[in-house]
Amino acid sequence: MRWATRAGVHVDRAACAWLIRRFVDPGAEFVFVTDPADVPADATPFDMRGAALGHVGGDCSFETVLRVHGLDDPVLWRIGEIVHEADLDDGRFDAPEAPGLDVLLRGLSMTGDDEHTLAVSGPLFDGLYEFTRRRLLLGREPA
Amino acid sequence: MTTTGEWVLLSYRLPREPSGPRTTLWRRLRRLGVAQLADGVVALPADARTRESLEWLADDVLEAGGTAGIWTARPATAAQERELAAGMAAARAEEYRELTGQAAAALGAPEAEQARTLRRLRGEWRAIGRRDFFPPAEKDAAAAALSALAEAVAPTGARVGSAR
Repeated sequence: MRWATRAGVHVDRAACAWLIRRFVDPGAEFVFVTDPADVPADATPFDMRGAALGHVGGDCSFETVLRVHGLDDPVLWRIGEIVHEADLDDGRFDAPEAPGLDVLLRGLSMTGDDEHTLAVSGPLFDGLYEFTRRRLLLGREPA
Repeated sequence: MTTTGEWVLLSYRLPREPSGPRTTLWRRLRRLGVAQLADGVVALPADARTRESLEWLADDVLEAGGTAGIWTARPATAAQERELAAGMAAARAEEYRELTGQAAAALGAPEAEQARTLRRLRGEWRAIGRRDFFPPAEKDAAAAALSALAEAVAPTGARVGSAR
């Protein structure tokens, strides 16, 4: 399937792309557009104005994708809290990881194109998933 | 000739009732540090992030049954832009002054309370920084007050030895 989002990918879109590819559509192809009108007819838009997979009721797009696709993995919801604070920074969650994650993704967007950002951030989110999974299992910080 | 910068504007109108969405919008606008140009018109210096932030708020307004528009604009005169920037800088200056006062007051508090206050004020410092588009002189004073509090909580000498 094809998925479309705004060009100039930052944390919420990078996290959504990772989530979609890992947990929703392994064969996902991503298209980056500058104008919502340029979204191809066969592509599902996300993190764009007017898209169903956007900011809904104070949630960031990552949380919306989790909800819409019925993903109930607590590890993903914890990552959702981190992405929420990295993107919206509204203090809804306690996520000290958020400012660091935001800075890393913003830096990536400065040094490469959107394909590059997704290629580099994918393994980062894999690592964040594993760390978060172990932390939830142990009930404390993993070694 | 002096040229003015590009600004992104959100124009909005929300139903008076229910008041919930109005309060939420007001809180979010405040967090973004917008300049209120008129009733229902706010502005931020334009960049990808500020534009996106206001776009999501516009969607919130539409969802709450209101009307909203996103505009990009340039102040017609440099003087008008300076006035806008000065207003925003003054608002941040007030926040930095408040932070400076709290950091200074904490110096007299018990050690555990100092550490707690330092953590809270550092968070506050970052939040102000994110909406600080035209840093006022008060920012330096706030930074110095935070450093003084950090020094009281963890003196530099001790920190070198205990770090990592």
